[in-house]
Amino acid sequence: MSTPEPRQFRASDPLRMRVFVLLGLWILAIVIMSLLSPYFLQASTVPFILQYLPILGLLGLGQTLVILAGGPGIDLSVGSIVSLVGVAVGALFSIGVDIWLACGAGIVFGALLGLVNGVLVNVLRIPSLMATLATMFAFGGLAIATTGGRPIGGFPPEFAWLGQGRTLGMPNSVLFVLVPVAIVLHVMLTRTTVGRHIVACGNDDRAAHLTGLPVVRIRVGLYVLSGILSALGSVIALSWFLAARPDAGDGMELLAVTIAVLGGTYIFGGTGGIPGTILAILIITTLQIGLQLANISAAWQLGVIGVLLIASVSQVRDWRKLLSFKA
Amino acid sequence: MATQADTRPALRFVSPTGSRELALLAAILVAGAYFTLASPYFLSVNNLVQTMRAGLELGIVSAGMTLVIIMGGIDVSVGGILAVSAIVIGKAYQAGLPVYIVSPLGLMAGTALGAVNGFVTTKLKVPPIIATLGSMYIFSAVMFLVIGGSWIAGLPATLSPLVNGWVGFVPAAAIVLFFVYGLMWIILRKLAFGNHIYAIGCDEQAARLVGINVDRTKIATYAMLGFLAGLAALLYVARMRNVEINIGTTIALEAIAATILGGTNIRGGVGSLLGTLLGVVFIRIMQNGLVLTGVSSLWETVIIGSLLIVVLTVDAVRNRNNPRAI
Repeated sequence: MSTPEPRQFRASDPLRMRVFVLLGLWILAIVIMSLLSPYFLQASTVPFILQYLPILGLLGLGQTLVILAGGPGIDLSVGSIVSLVGVAVGALFSIGVDIWLACGAGIVFGALLGLVNGVLVNVLRIPSLMATLATMFAFGGLAIATTGGRPIGGFPPEFAWLGQGRTLGMPNSVLFVLVPVAIVLHVMLTRTTVGRHIVACGNDDRAAHLTGLPVVRIRVGLYVLSGILSALGSVIALSWFLAARPDAGDGMELLAVTIAVLGGTYIFGGTGGIPGTILAILIITTLQIGLQLANISAAWQLGVIGVLLIASVSQVRDWRKLLSFKA
Repeated sequence: MATQADTRPALRFVSPTGSRELALLAAILVAGAYFTLASPYFLSVNNLVQTMRAGLELGIVSAGMTLVIIMGGIDVSVGGILAVSAIVIGKAYQAGLPVYIVSPLGLMAGTALGAVNGFVTTKLKVPPIIATLGSMYIFSAVMFLVIGGSWIAGLPATLSPLVNGWVGFVPAAAIVLFFVYGLMWIILRKLAFGNHIYAIGCDEQAARLVGINVDRTKIATYAMLGFLAGLAALLYVARMRNVEINIGTTIALEAIAATILGGTNIRGGVGSLLGTLLGVVFIRIMQNGLVLTGVSSLWETVIIGSLLIVVLTVDAVRNRNNPRAI
């Protein structure tokens, strides 16, 4: 693995700089999108965009914490957890379990799947990338294979309250899930000891270990948290579409990683925060919806996200060296 | 050199003990025996040759993937490289170009895209997994933009003897595989370049200090994987005579799985081409056998995924006292 470079002294906090840059990027995205499509900058579009936020947002928040705690940690299985938990909740519901109870069981199931990842990565010390790639296969394949690829439907209409309902014009899923979760995580990360411990693990796990921090337990806990947040996302998706699609989470893992690193989380851990992640979610969602409204091929979304992913991780400091064509 | 015992365990074609290769071979034989008993169609020349032809692209890509993973890298975008190369080949055929121009074009496209991956990981210092995830997005975007929802169909069969032909009693596909693995073996074992790949995988910093041009070696290795993906695209087009929209979607993960199953260390520095080849054979035989015995092909990913988890766990438990190995 590459050695972390010495931190350069900066006049201001780099993370705060990042937030401003992201804010600028977001405004730029909104301006471009409203130029592309006359429908974009209308009051009615706002709740529509917000509707798309929570599922990806929850995955992005979980990913941020997993990456932040270092290791290097990453969780590529989040999309598959969304699919598998959805299918499990659907199966429980179809055998007659109360829908909200089934959702609760689904969240516990998500935590267990996260625990599998956490143990594979931190206790058995399999590189996170490989372990979660394997579980991505296994979980996602299980969702498809057990259902034969067919969606499970027939959820009661009152279940749609979470995914489709609005309070004061805001989608319930944003108001009652995403915003509280983001606030709790932000407070945890910046105002509590646990948060400091997470950052310490990411900065230097050896030092953290010698200080007496339970590095393994913290990291396993964050994988579990990522599983829980993915399961929550899955429940929101269920309530939105009123059906459990076995491929519901396909491709979400890449978006979640993109959101985390675009939000300023250093890919090897130790630096990052919730505000950046939230802005990254807003940027990605704005791009997605905007391109959709402007009737531009979904392929462009993929391309733009790919460029954003690479650009947000590449180290700008090296651009000048790059242009001088020295090896 | 010849009189000295070979004490470079990481540099051997067969890994030091050969235990992984033997275990895989045993697994292949057990699976083969089971499928032979379970299905009358499994053990026939026709079925096995068909399986090999269908697995040709995976075999070729996995050889390159082995080199990249030994170097401590990874490339999840090979499916995208394969797809874009296949599109270049298809469009070139449609433009009426002859095969001796189309083929180099396809290979060059693959090589260039692989080199881009290498460039992004080395010069922009993006970790390979992120860089290739990003380029995978970009390559699939290119693919969708060029061919949209349709297929490129009705391509000429000029090169199909390479896949479907026979040389005496030997299927041409086997000869192609032999050449690719032979070439990779020479590169890995007989050239200084191969030693550099192992050295970078073992300790990149040390390799740099010894004077190896790490960046150049990396870019060349990614480009080589790209070249092989281009070759796979050429053979894909020769075999299918069209370019579908879902071309290459699973090949990266399958190639990684085959490589890891074959005993290559995901952290780099250790690995064998023979293991990878056996890994490819194992995956393909499992897939073919499961279909023949009536198991839904939907279970394939579950099985590959679980297998990977088991192998990674066994490796981890066996090497838990060795901080370098997984």
